Amino acid sequence: MSKQVSRRNLLGKIGAALAGVATLPLARTAKAAVQKVLVSTPAPKGYDPTRHKWVMAIDANRCIGCGLCAEACKTENHVPDGPFYRTWIERYVITKPKPGSGASRGETFVDCPNGGMHGFPELPVPKSEIQHSFFVPKLCNLCEHSACVQVCPVGATFDSPDGAVLIDPKYCIGCGFCIQACPYGCRFLNPVTKTAEKCTLCYHRITRGLKPACVEVCPTQARVFGDLKNPVPDDPIQQFYQNNKVQALKPHLGTDPRVFYAGIDKEVR
Amino acid sequence: MTGDITNYVFEAMPHFEGYVYPNEATPQPLWSVLIVLYPYITGLVAGAFIMASLVRVFNVRALEPVYRLSLLTAFAFLLCAPLPLLFHLGHPERCFEVMMTPHLTSPMAIFGFVYAWYLMAVLLLELWFDYRADFVRWSTLTPGLRGVLYRLFTVGVMDVSEPAVKLDHKLGHILSIVGIPSAFLLHGYVGFIFGSVKANPWWGNVLMPIIFIMSAVVSGIALCVFNYMVLSWIRRKTIDMKCLDIMCMFLFYALVMDAAIEALDWIHRVYSAEEGFQVMQYMAREKLFYTLNLGQATFGTAVPLLLLGSLQLLRKYVPELGRRRMYFSSAVLILCGVLAMRWNVVIGGQLFSKSLRGVMSYKMEFAGLEGWFMGAVLLVLPFVILTVFVKLFLSEQLPTSSLPAEGGDGESNNFGRAHGGPIAALPVGSGRD
Amino acid sequence: MPPQIVRLLLLVVGIVTSYSIARYFLTPPSFGQYGWFRGDALVELQAREVVFAGKKACEECHSEEMNKLLKHEHKSLSCEGCHGPGQAHADNPDIKISQLNFSPCIRCHEANPSRPSWHKQIVSKNHYTGSKCTECHVPHSPTEVP
Repeated sequence: MSKQVSRRNLLGKIGAALAGVATLPLARTAKAAVQKVLVSTPAPKGYDPTRHKWVMAIDANRCIGCGLCAEACKTENHVPDGPFYRTWIERYVITKPKPGSGASRGETFVDCPNGGMHGFPELPVPKSEIQHSFFVPKLCNLCEHSACVQVCPVGATFDSPDGAVLIDPKYCIGCGFCIQACPYGCRFLNPVTKTAEKCTLCYHRITRGLKPACVEVCPTQARVFGDLKNPVPDDPIQQFYQNNKVQALKPHLGTDPRVFYAGIDKEVR
Repeated sequence: MTGDITNYVFEAMPHFEGYVYPNEATPQPLWSVLIVLYPYITGLVAGAFIMASLVRVFNVRALEPVYRLSLLTAFAFLLCAPLPLLFHLGHPERCFEVMMTPHLTSPMAIFGFVYAWYLMAVLLLELWFDYRADFVRWSTLTPGLRGVLYRLFTVGVMDVSEPAVKLDHKLGHILSIVGIPSAFLLHGYVGFIFGSVKANPWWGNVLMPIIFIMSAVVSGIALCVFNYMVLSWIRRKTIDMKCLDIMCMFLFYALVMDAAIEALDWIHRVYSAEEGFQVMQYMAREKLFYTLNLGQATFGTAVPLLLLGSLQLLRKYVPELGRRRMYFSSAVLILCGVLAMRWNVVIGGQLFSKSLRGVMSYKMEFAGLEGWFMGAVLLVLPFVILTVFVKLFLSEQLPTSSLPAEGGDGESNNFGRAHGGPIAALPVGSGRD
Repeated sequence: MPPQIVRLLLLVVGIVTSYSIARYFLTPPSFGQYGWFRGDALVELQAREVVFAGKKACEECHSEEMNKLLKHEHKSLSCEGCHGPGQAHADNPDIKISQLNFSPCIRCHEANPSRPSWHKQIVSKNHYTGSKCTECHVPHSPTEVP
């Protein structure tokens, strides 16, 4: 009697398992259908992100503050008008100390009118009182341990395998945590798409062998760009690292930025 | 010009002094009124729950009259807690992503799970264990939809025999114990969201989660005091002064701890005077003067400390009416003060630039998703929900399976359930006026 | 088992099951391909349209101007820095480039103490006022006389 019951049990269990297996393709088709509604993109091959490591460096000794880079970036990436900049240029003016004050330097003025896009107006102090003055282009610092990626709640911003820090505009929920977490102020909330946005190193250009728009239009090669995994002969980025002692911004925060700056002063934040 | 046409309108150039990063020069802060309200509401939840667990876990019998009211308060506010977050998102329709692909390095990703855990496994379950026997009874006593509703809330478990009810008590007790660290987690992670932002020196420090938890406890107890007094007033019932005195004693000591930790934060900042100190000091003095010095410090902390502290020393000399007035005004002041504290933390952190060289000015708007009106609606909504709960679950007409509070007469209030008392078997139909 | 526990266990199982099902359906495909993000995002970001063509694209048709440019001081400049974005023109030469005979010289050459000293600068209000830059300078070969 118990043998019969156990055989029935076993047959029942096998039947249930088979039924379960039979529904798997149905479940998969259903899943595919649902996910097609959510997200559907083609997948052209050709570029392997694991074979490149892009980086940018800034030579502030060479920047003339023309603003072509900031303007080109806005054009290339369709950034809305207003206080939204993927890259910008800051001007630093350090005055001479007051005679007899015993100070090593005077005050520091920093400004950035319209991101520096249209150049810079008259200086706030006469030339004779200036000890140093220079321009510093700023952009995403391509951190090794980005705070922004760490705090994204959904995985919409990420470190790409080839060195850029990118945002998935179809997945971002617009919470703004990454914008708060970036120490360098390079992120903003796009008022049109309502997602976070930042410098992408012109990912759509560099993956096609072009240079980022800002590097392209810079007249003095103040922005240096290259592929650390595929150096070319006379690679400007290798020469930059070879010839310059450099600084990184806010190193004490532990984000390990990969963008290095040559020729900046201690006043630059 | 270049760039897409947007419907983003500049009404006036945003005002800033000094140097701010160009992306910071927006007319409105990124995290505005809605993000001020969210920690406030979850803080009230955590605090009200701690209040309730004082009864269950620490056996403070005097607080039994407010036990159920505290739990219902916590529940009403917890239901409203996700709303400010949802409204604030750029893409609220994608909110499910936080639960589907949570990025576990982000404190914000923990929100979905901590909230779900706290709502379902702690608060709802504890309410259910406490109310289940009453639901069974009420479902037979009330006609129509309401009876069906009570039946629904029993989740089909209609057994009110003594062992079943004893099990309810026991499980509810266990849940209260589990609930205390859960309440700390629910609000502590909010503090950690701010405390983990190393880029912002106003937010990113170790004390931030502790400060948030302590001020949450304070605000929650104050809310329970407020609700208890208002509900008693509405129902024209006398207040159980012993309960109120003990509640406000806990409120006082919680406030002392909260003030001590916030003072420690302030002293440490002033003493160590790290790099951002000058710009933060300027910002606090110029932009946060009223909300910080008057709102949070003076009226939100110092005055209630004085009022409540004097009553701890001189309680016997102050007549009941005077005490009630002092308690009520302290509770209201504390509630406003803690809201001011959330404002100072959230908005203050965005009023100075990460370049540490400049401060921004924002103009708060009235209408719109992040305006005053929406803030007011979100603050009133939990009270509306609480009113519904009080009508359903704290009805004066329906008998609770408890004896009246000790020493009370028929007039005194009972918004709680006697802890561990014998179950009165009520004949059907009794207890309805 | 006490009825409360049974009910609660059933509820827990129900909740966990529906969460798992939801997660199975609502996680996008390609999520996790390279890391905690949608792998398709890389592809979508690559597919955005290009607005600036790049100097090499200009050289394809305008090699004469390019050769001249490369012999003189402006050799490191990009064409589009002065002439504006050119991908639309490169795709369809009938579309005119936005700034054909445009010489925004003072944008770079206006004297400014913040500019490095090796960079050639003039104070425009003192430098032959009333004349256009192109009267004395050829943009592609700036030290030649027109």
